[in-house]
Amino acid sequence: MGFLDSLLGRSRTAKPSKTDRLFAISTAYVTLQTSYGIVNAGKAGIVFQPLATSDFNAIVKDTEEVLRATGEETGTLVETTEDDFGYRWAVLQDDDVEDLVVGINAVKDALDTSGYGDRVLAAVFSFRDEAGKRIHLIYNVKRGSWYPFVPAPGRQARDNERELQLKAQLGGELPFEPELERWFPLWGVPL
Amino acid sequence: MASRSTPALKAPAGLQARMLMTFFLLGLVYVVLVAVLVAAKVYPLIIVVGILFVVQVLASDKIGLRAMGAHEVSPQEAPELHAMIERLCIQADIPKPKVGIVRTSMPNAFAMGRNQKTATVCVTTGIMEILSPAELEGVIAHELAHIRHRDVAIMTLASFFASIASMILQFGFLFGGGSSDSDDDSPSFAVVLLVSLAVYIVSFFLMQALSRYREFAADRGAAEITRRPSALASALMKISGTMDRIPQQDLRQNAHSELAAFYIASPGKKSLFELFATHPPMEKRIAELEKLERQMQGVA
Repeated sequence: MGFLDSLLGRSRTAKPSKTDRLFAISTAYVTLQTSYGIVNAGKAGIVFQPLATSDFNAIVKDTEEVLRATGEETGTLVETTEDDFGYRWAVLQDDDVEDLVVGINAVKDALDTSGYGDRVLAAVFSFRDEAGKRIHLIYNVKRGSWYPFVPAPGRQARDNERELQLKAQLGGELPFEPELERWFPLWGVPL
Repeated sequence: MASRSTPALKAPAGLQARMLMTFFLLGLVYVVLVAVLVAAKVYPLIIVVGILFVVQVLASDKIGLRAMGAHEVSPQEAPELHAMIERLCIQADIPKPKVGIVRTSMPNAFAMGRNQKTATVCVTTGIMEILSPAELEGVIAHELAHIRHRDVAIMTLASFFASIASMILQFGFLFGGGSSDSDDDSPSFAVVLLVSLAVYIVSFFLMQALSRYREFAADRGAAEITRRPSALASALMKISGTMDRIPQQDLRQNAHSELAAFYIASPGKKSLFELFATHPPMEKRIAELEKLERQMQGVA
C-alpha cells in the first residue's frame, strides 16, 4: 500500500499475483519423487472465501460441473467442502499430479474470469514421504509463491525442520516464499 | 485471460475529503504554533519540550501488551483464533501480527504497533464469548485494517504538535516570567501560553474527528477483507448492547494508550457529544456497513 493509501485509510483488496507460478509444481514433483521418494497423496485443494452474493454459488456450481465433465476423461474426482473456519474448498482427487494441477488451475481461472479471483487464498498439494508422513505444499495465490507445511503430532504443531529441509531440497525448482513469517499454516485442510 | 476482480467497496461519501481537510487544518494550527514559538524566541523551551516529546514517543512505542492488560498467546494456546487470523492475513496479504488476549468480560478488541512488523492484535475473553466466529472475524479484520492503514503511526504524527502544546501548558510555567520581558517586540510568554492552549483545544477536536474517520475507514477495510459487512455490523450491535450492560471498566491503563491502540469500540466512558468521541456512534457505523453490503449485493 502506498503512502497516500495509508494516509487516507484506503486499503485495497489484495489481488492475485501477476506472475502465476502454479505450474512449477509439475517439475518440482519429478524431483520430489525421483530424488526424495516423496509421492502424491492423491489429493489437492484450492481454498477461497465463499461470498453471499447471488451469482457466487452459481459460479462455483458451474465450475464444479465443468470439472466433473472434464474429470471423466482424466479420472479426476471433484468435491467442494467447507472447513471449520467458513472457507470453501474445491478438493480434487487424482493419482496424477499433472491432472491435479490442471484441475486446480481450472478452478482458479473460473473464479478469476467471473471476477472472484481476489477471493482465492491458496492451493494446497498433498504428498507422502517414505515414512508415510503427510507433507503439504501450499501455493499462495496472492504472492505467487510456494511454501511447505508439515503438520507435526500435537495440537497445531508443525515440523519446521522438515519444512526447511524441503526448501533446501526444492529451492532451485519451486519459487519459495522468501519471508518465513508468511509461511502461513492452513489448519483443517480437508485433504 | 483478463482477470476481473470484485468491485472495490466505496468509503462513506466525502470521507476522504474530510480526512484531507482535517490533516490540512491540523497542519495550519501547527504552523501557527511554531510561528508563535519562533517569534517569541523561547528556544530553550522549544528544545526541552522537543526532547520530552521524543522521550514520550519512544516510551509509548514500548507500551507492552502487559501495560494494556494483555498477554501474548501461542497458536497452541488459542488455535482457533490463530488459524482465523492466519487466513485473514493470507487474504489481506499482510504478515501475521502478534496475537494477544485480555482477560475481561468487557467485549473489545484492539490493534497496536507502529508498523506491520511490530503489530499486535488483541481480543478480550468477553468478545470471544459473545461473538460468533464470523462476527469475530469481522472485528479482527477491522483491527487488521487499522494495521494496514498504519493508524498508530499516522495518529502519533498528527498529534505531534498537539502534544508539544500540551507540554508547554504543563511545564511552561518553569520558563515563564524570565528574559522575555525585555524591550523587543516579540510576543510575551503569556501569548505563548494562550496560543498553546488554543492549539491544544482546536487540535483535540480535530484529532477526535480524524479518529472517527479512521474508524469508518477501518470498517470499510474490514469489509474489503472479509466481504461480510453484515457480520461486522451484527458484531457491533452485540458489542454495544453488552457494553451498556457491563459497568464501565476502563481498559486503558495509561494516558498514551489511546494513541497506541485502536479499539473496535470506544473503551472509555461514552461521550455526550459526538464531537468529543474517538469513535462514531454505533448506529452510523452500522448504517455505513449496510451500505457496503448493498454495494456488494449489487443493489446500491
